[in-house]
Amino acid sequence: MSISRVEIVTSMSKMDDLRIELSKIGVTGMTVLQALGCGVQKGAMEYAMEKNKIMEMLPKQMIILIVPTEKVAEIEDVVKKCLYTGHIGDGKIFVSEVTDVIRVRTGEDGADALT
Amino acid sequence: MEEKKLGLFSVVSTGVGLIVATTCLMSLCQGSAAIGGMFIVSIILACALNMITAASLAELNALMPNLTGGLAQYTLAGLGPFVTLVSMVGGYIVCNALMAPSEGAMFGLAIVELTGTTIPSSVISVALTVILIIINLRGVDMFAKIQDVVAFLLIGSLLLLGIIGAVGAGTGVQVSQPLNLTNDLMDGVNMAAAAFWLFIGIEFIIPISKYVDNPRRNIPLGMFLSLGIICIIQIFMLLGLHNYTSWSELAASDTPHILYGISLLGDVGKAWIGIVTVLAAISTQNSVINSITKICYGMAKMNMLPSIFQKTNKHGSPYIGILIYGAVIVIIEATGLASASSLSFMILVASVFWMVSYIISHINLLVLRKRMPKAPRTFKVPLGPVIPIIGIVGMLYMIVNISTDPAQRALILAIDAVIFVILAVYAAFWTKFKLKMPLFKPLSIEKVMAMENPMYFEVRKRAALRKKKEKQISMPTT
Repeated sequence: MSISRVEIVTSMSKMDDLRIELSKIGVTGMTVLQALGCGVQKGAMEYAMEKNKIMEMLPKQMIILIVPTEKVAEIEDVVKKCLYTGHIGDGKIFVSEVTDVIRVRTGEDGADALT
Repeated sequence: MEEKKLGLFSVVSTGVGLIVATTCLMSLCQGSAAIGGMFIVSIILACALNMITAASLAELNALMPNLTGGLAQYTLAGLGPFVTLVSMVGGYIVCNALMAPSEGAMFGLAIVELTGTTIPSSVISVALTVILIIINLRGVDMFAKIQDVVAFLLIGSLLLLGIIGAVGAGTGVQVSQPLNLTNDLMDGVNMAAAAFWLFIGIEFIIPISKYVDNPRRNIPLGMFLSLGIICIIQIFMLLGLHNYTSWSELAASDTPHILYGISLLGDVGKAWIGIVTVLAAISTQNSVINSITKICYGMAKMNMLPSIFQKTNKHGSPYIGILIYGAVIVIIEATGLASASSLSFMILVASVFWMVSYIISHINLLVLRKRMPKAPRTFKVPLGPVIPIIGIVGMLYMIVNISTDPAQRALILAIDAVIFVILAVYAAFWTKFKLKMPLFKPLSIEKVMAMENPMYFEVRKRAALRKKKEKQISMPTT
């Protein structure tokens, strides 16, 4: 079974909703990092008249999930609906492949290490 | 402390309260008197078409959540500033300019009926409006506190009176008459436009979505339940009308709902429905004056109406808007709305504006679906474009059949057409010369969403002032 890494970058306020929704669909673990960053607006506020010339760093959070690849579509759907407000800064989702996962305590690897 | 959010029950009670107005009683009684029980077909059809509109609005709300302006912002993103101006100014401001005097007329007629006074009902309507204008100018929204209670009283009374009449439990003498005055189903279909007024205003739920718990589920569900409950109440009322009021007397009465109260429960019924009508008419007219002048204030802030509407007095009331709007209401009331026929005529004229704005909502949905097919939605109307298209066709059908009387229909459509032409000319000039924007170029959703932020216009205002100052400095002095 292949494994994927889903990274979600979004604003700080979305954590609670996301945690609850992901738990509902059986996601068994997540790692959250506090981050600073910006996207195509270069950190400009949505009401600003133009984009910043120099990037401004805004407080964000990055949520990392390692999940079976077959679950990725469902997770994407839940995360998109949960984060969507229509405003600039809703966030981005990055999906990439993971070659292996090892649970240190038991030595299990691959999908077994995720359950 | 976290603010307590509104649950499904609150959404439904707000929805029902916003939709039911005293003028609905007039539409129900007039429609029932015209075709009898077949009007149930009209009620169900009008309810179904409004549910379709609610579905489209719920999807638009999912696409552009938590907006305070609702339809205006959807249209700005869907069809651009020209259509927004025509539909908002036409669909809301003009339509409500017609709704407020209708409520005033209901108040005047109810007072005459209750007290037996010889003062003309139009004078009573004007007096009420003048008092409400003064109250609003002083910035006192004294009815906001009792609005929910009044709405609850009206709905509760309609339900109770409907059930009492439908099961034959009234103290009055039952009338023996056929339920249906026609057996042609098409008569019921053609009268759907008359029943449309019973359900308008479901979109007013949208602005409260940010205060609602689980809005993704509760907003669409609340809209559907509100419409369904109103449909059931109206059907009970119709059955009660059939049992206790002769169709011909109902058609001839200027206050058919009070006639029903008398026929059902005698003097108690008269006092009951009369007092509820008076309270509800005051409350509705007050809230219309209050909310429309605030909408005008907001639109002036967004540069869509002349800046004069932004002027406030020392009480913080947008006094120019209140005075202009108040004058319009007084003129309409004074020129005579005090009969059932002119009142229903006015309601039908206003209905067309509302139907047009609902058609625009369906078109907005189709346009935004095409433009942003992948945008995540927590609610999506099923069956692709089929349901919104049915909604558009249904609304067009009701506009074409706005009245069963061909002469009245022609007059209604002519009045609406003239007002729309005036609005279109205003919108075209305003968009081109004041907003300096292409007429039909829609704004991006992000931009419309950003406009929700009060800083959006503040930043632009400051930039324009700075630019003006720089220009003045750079100009050579003579």
